[in-house]
Amino acid sequence: MISGFASKWVLLAVSATVLSVSVFSNTLPRPTLKRSPRTVDFNRDVRPILSEHCYKCHGPAVKDVKGDLKLNDPASATKDRYGKFAIKPHDSKNSMLLERVTAKDSPMPPTDSGMMRLTAKQIETLKLWIDQGSEYKAHWAFIPPVKPALPEVKDKKWSRNEIDRFVLAQLESNGLKPEAEADRNTLIRRATLALTGLQPTPEETDAFLKDSKPQAYERVIDRLLASPRYGEHEARYWFDAVRYGDTHGLHLDNERSIYPYRDWVIRAMNRDLPYDKFASWQLAGDLLPDKSTEQLIATGFVRMNPTTAEGGAIDDEFQAKNSFDRTETFSTIFLGMTFTCARCHDHKYDPISHKDYYGLFAFFNSTSDAPLDGNLLVPGPAIKARLPEQELTARSFERKMQSALNQAHSEEALAWAGTISITAPKTSKWEVSSPYAAKTFDEAYDMECGPEPNGKVDASKWKTLDLKLGVAANVVPLEIGSGFVRGVVTAEKAGKADLRVGSDDAVKVWLNGTLIHSNKVLRSITALADTVRVDLKQGENTILFKVVNGGGGEGLIINFGDAVAERVAALVKNPQANSIALKRLFLENGPQTDLSQDYRKANAGLTALDKDIPMSLVAEELPSPRVANILRRGEYNLKGEEVKRAIPKVMGEMPKYAPMNRLGLAQWLTRKDNPLFARVTVNRLWLQHFGTGIVKTAEDFGNQGEWPSNPELLDYLAVRFAEDGWSMKKFHRLVLTSATFRQSSRVTPEKYKRDPENRLLAHGPRFRLDAEVIRDQALYASGLLRERLGGKGFRPYQPEGLWEALGFLGSNTARYTQDMTEDIYRRSLYLFWKRTSPHPMMLTFDAPMRETCVVRRSRTNTPMQALVTMNEPAFVEASRVMAERIMEEVSGDRERLNRAFMLTLSRPPHAEESKVLMGALARYRSLYSSRHADAHQMVSVGMSPRNPALSATETASWMMICSTLMNTNAFLNFE
Amino acid sequence: MDPKREFELMMTRRQLFGRTALGVGTAALGHLMNSGGFRADDKKIGGQPGFPNFAPKAKRVIYLFMNGGPSQMDLWDYKPKMQEQFDVELPADIRNGQRITTMTSGQARFPVAPSKFKFNKHENNEDGVWVSELLPYTSEVVKELCVIKSMWTEAINHDPAVTYIQTGSQLPGRPSLGSWVSYGLGSENENLPTYVVLHSKVTRGDPDQALFARLWSSGFISSEHQGISLRSKGDPVLYLSDPHGMDRKTRRDMLDDLGKLNQMQFQEFGDPEVAARIKQYEMAYRMQASVPELMDVSKESQEVFDLYGKESQEPGTFAANCLLARRLCQRGVKFIQIFHRGWDQHGNMGGDLPTQCKDVDQACAALIKDLKRTGMLDDTLVVWGGEFGRTVYCQGPLTRANYGRDHHPRCYTMWMAGAGVKPGIVYGNTDDYCYNIVDKDGRVIEPSIDEFTPGAVHIHDLNATILNQLGVDHTKLTYRYQGRDFRITDVHGHVVKDILQ
Repeated sequence: MISGFASKWVLLAVSATVLSVSVFSNTLPRPTLKRSPRTVDFNRDVRPILSEHCYKCHGPAVKDVKGDLKLNDPASATKDRYGKFAIKPHDSKNSMLLERVTAKDSPMPPTDSGMMRLTAKQIETLKLWIDQGSEYKAHWAFIPPVKPALPEVKDKKWSRNEIDRFVLAQLESNGLKPEAEADRNTLIRRATLALTGLQPTPEETDAFLKDSKPQAYERVIDRLLASPRYGEHEARYWFDAVRYGDTHGLHLDNERSIYPYRDWVIRAMNRDLPYDKFASWQLAGDLLPDKSTEQLIATGFVRMNPTTAEGGAIDDEFQAKNSFDRTETFSTIFLGMTFTCARCHDHKYDPISHKDYYGLFAFFNSTSDAPLDGNLLVPGPAIKARLPEQELTARSFERKMQSALNQAHSEEALAWAGTISITAPKTSKWEVSSPYAAKTFDEAYDMECGPEPNGKVDASKWKTLDLKLGVAANVVPLEIGSGFVRGVVTAEKAGKADLRVGSDDAVKVWLNGTLIHSNKVLRSITALADTVRVDLKQGENTILFKVVNGGGGEGLIINFGDAVAERVAALVKNPQANSIALKRLFLENGPQTDLSQDYRKANAGLTALDKDIPMSLVAEELPSPRVANILRRGEYNLKGEEVKRAIPKVMGEMPKYAPMNRLGLAQWLTRKDNPLFARVTVNRLWLQHFGTGIVKTAEDFGNQGEWPSNPELLDYLAVRFAEDGWSMKKFHRLVLTSATFRQSSRVTPEKYKRDPENRLLAHGPRFRLDAEVIRDQALYASGLLRERLGGKGFRPYQPEGLWEALGFLGSNTARYTQDMTEDIYRRSLYLFWKRTSPHPMMLTFDAPMRETCVVRRSRTNTPMQALVTMNEPAFVEASRVMAERIMEEVSGDRERLNRAFMLTLSRPPHAEESKVLMGALARYRSLYSSRHADAHQMVSVGMSPRNPALSATETASWMMICSTLMNTNAFLNFE
Repeated sequence: MDPKREFELMMTRRQLFGRTALGVGTAALGHLMNSGGFRADDKKIGGQPGFPNFAPKAKRVIYLFMNGGPSQMDLWDYKPKMQEQFDVELPADIRNGQRITTMTSGQARFPVAPSKFKFNKHENNEDGVWVSELLPYTSEVVKELCVIKSMWTEAINHDPAVTYIQTGSQLPGRPSLGSWVSYGLGSENENLPTYVVLHSKVTRGDPDQALFARLWSSGFISSEHQGISLRSKGDPVLYLSDPHGMDRKTRRDMLDDLGKLNQMQFQEFGDPEVAARIKQYEMAYRMQASVPELMDVSKESQEVFDLYGKESQEPGTFAANCLLARRLCQRGVKFIQIFHRGWDQHGNMGGDLPTQCKDVDQACAALIKDLKRTGMLDDTLVVWGGEFGRTVYCQGPLTRANYGRDHHPRCYTMWMAGAGVKPGIVYGNTDDYCYNIVDKDGRVIEPSIDEFTPGAVHIHDLNATILNQLGVDHTKLTYRYQGRDFRITDVHGHVVKDILQ
């Protein structure tokens, strides 16, 4: 259906101004392209003008349409208005539109609209369009891509694969020639950085240089795609999009446990999980039949939005805000549109209505997680994030338990149940102490006060407390501090009982003088959160509670019981229906037999296995969806019309077979005829390798987004991606083995003048590397990098006071504690990501905060960046350790310099470079040989031990050389 | 990177190409680099064409941010009639359905807590202004202040409210006011950041409300516009100091070597970005000198320290930060924001508020006096205030001597001074309960975010007015992101002309 105008796409920009889509880009030079017979295309040429200058008042936003004229709607635009027409096809003379935009007196758009006047060229375009019949077309991005035929090219030799045909055809039509292939050193460095985020080792570079057999480069690509580093690197881009962080992101910004999701993404990338599955599991893994643990972990995607539990926050408000964030992140990542405008009203530019927004919103507002996170590490729902191999072990334990269950006899279980009775102990003599004030939550928790076994002086005054089981009592009338409650528990006979405790915030419990439970946590009183099995002696037992408040409300609630007995009592009411549960209790708590031993052993094994496995937040659908309403102005308390789940009208309909939930949404999304899903994705992947997407506005494929620089190529790649089974690895291989990618990044002044942004790809890519890659490269060159896939976020060197200057004292991320292990040299993607204060090195080099979805980083060049790579301790240390490394590995200045170049830039130095650096080396030697103390200070940087066999003077001198290399443009760039 | 910035960079590159052949020598390049930019107007570095939109009254802004929500009826909004209402229930018609945070929505009663602090009337340029005894120094400069008693916002919790006033949105992700200013107006001093953030020590100890890097982040605008924190401990600017054992000459030599290597790369590949990189390294080198010079207050006179108070000699205090702010102004820094935390008095107003005020009072007044004395108050806009106000009704136990107050968004007090803001006036009124904004006859005003309501100042209006004083039409300072033109005032905001000269 697009083939009719697809052939015109190649012509791309007819004129620079016509293409403009934004106020600012009006002045932005575009590639100057060959002029062609002026055929105006609505999508390419006209819509941007109407969208920019007219739609605000005469566009898709229905309510405030001026003069009953909607220029986006052909019926309205060409309506006969008492013999007059806004647009009369083929007749620009009688089209009021042109008259109004050229009028001397108060021309459109009006000055007070904030819109700019049309340029002469834009008016000319409108005129041509009308005279050519004023044909309207649906926005290109809403039409499913069709695989275009490969264009014919004059140069039959240059192309290596299909990509090149599209690129070359465009170059040829513009009278440009591609650059020659980059040299091998550049190629392997570029490919290795592109696929693993690290530079090649000198050995890898040498091997590639020596490999004279055909397909040497392709073999490098395959090796890199098979490396586990590939997943780590590829996942990193995803984490910007899903706003991955290790903290809640709002207010207290406490830690939360979701890194198993991060590790799942890495593994999924490494095994090349097809992208449609990759997307579907994240959106709706919980709704899949027979869902696996990893499919559940994947739904961490849904839970990734920032959350809060700020005192005073209102549930409904955050239920709405959380769903906004999920809706907008979903649409940005998968549909290339945010819909943010439509949160408050109909979209002014895109055909997305206010109702469409809430139809999509309704898919995301019915998960079971509480709107407020309780500041918890694991605000449920969450699961033990077993790895696939751990899952296997767990299954084998579960099978053993099942087999024991099958063998156990219901009658025996029932007989045993008859011997169990509830012996809830009695409590009495409750007293509460006067409170102990503290400056911080930590201090209040740690300080051993009077009533504690080691407490210094019992200066507290005890008062009688009317503590009722199951009812919260206030015990610490302080913002920050602790309070104590004590009482007596009387048991008729010695035995076990279950103590259940809820507290705001932390709690410690002593029974008969022994600490039996402690939970350092910031929480509000949720009834009876902790259960502790206690051994009571016959008669009176003393019990003591310490409740620590870290701010806001406080209190204590307890209850006593016997969980086993209570369950038995409940189950025996209907022994037939509950026979399995009864057998389970019997095996767990009944008399010791071979069978129960087997069961308990397996159970213990399972518990031990799970002990060190982290929890990960997952999505879980409510049994029946929450009602969704249109929210006027996007305010949670201004509820309008009730809406049903629906995809935006302009994007078609849900397939008949799809359930109306997130799973159905995923099924609709990943269909091959979805016009956006594949395009948006391949564009993002392309962006990784060329620094700019084919659609530059990777986050906006809507009316206001930028026209693709090569629409046919984009469509080809989108269709091919689906045909190749949604394989990201295949996609990368296609791109990296293209002649286009393999060009030298050299740019001639002529080419630069024609196409400063290299949108036509007349030379190879060149752009500054991302923050993570720059840091990892430096560590890798020195040999300091410690590689280990997954695990908890690490905390490297960080200037003192950064978190402290911001943090809420009650937050568990208010203070920064650096790791004191080799973990500080891990790859940057494993940085512990505190969303309200990410590591400064990352922010300085344009990493996003991860509070909102980002699919395209800005790429700046600032003095702060220079300060980081010159002075940040990790970089300085890396230069020292790299100096030691080259001194240990090779001897002779030339050889060492050569090695230093190979480690950092993957090539030997040029003669001129050698000359400069050899001169520098001599200078540093002479300097540091007379200043031993300085040399010694220089080489003392960092936690890693230095090699005492190497002289400080020599190490410091080489260190300066290594640091210089790590600050070169070549080191900081992808080229 | 944003299109405008790219355009500028490209212009720079093109000029570079225009003037130099590919084989440009280091000396020629160096000359270009050091000529202080390529623009005719040497004073404006960066910024958007067409900005400022009109002649600015303010060349710079100092924004004193009191994080947590200072209690307006204990500091600025004198409510003598409340003395008789002690422990009396807040009338329902006053509250009028206003939503309440969940910290007090469960309270059985909403008893009025009159301020325990004495107020005195001070002469200003109109009918005088009542100021709490907790602000004796600020009282001395009220002839310079425009006290706005009718600020309002919709947000009632800290994180959304402070994000709202700083970025124009309650949800994270948008650029902060200072970033907008940096983006729109650029800098006057390329050796210092355009937008500087200073954090202040709080005498009461660890404050109970958090700040977030997003409050001075540049959001979706490129990160060069983010606020740069000047720290009182360690390096004032992160990683400013060279490694131990390296002197300035060694750094200079290293940069010369680096310049040569980069220059060779430029010759080989012709990428103009190399030139930009060399320039950034040179700027970093100059910052290594200019920042310590800025931070070194040893040459300030004793008289100055006496003015700001003895704490001004202790780095990191609010007083020391105010003095630094003045020094930053003198060096052409556009937007300076000082954060002081701990203003969230849910309880212990009697104990905590005096300590909070003592931290800031003298220095606020000193800053005004110092700017006035040096002639800078005419073109420096000073803003004081927090994210919302506090309730007249008590949270927690109530006595005459002590009480707490919950968050209140419907009215609160801020003040502005200098740079064309009417000095010595009070703008806006509130009812006897300090609960609603009222007109001059005492009738309740229901302000709307959609249109300007005379007598009421929404936080968007405040931001529009701050930009207006900088010569910026807030509706024009936009940035296209994700298909939409964003601005600090979203689709709202009106310049409050009544408070401008």
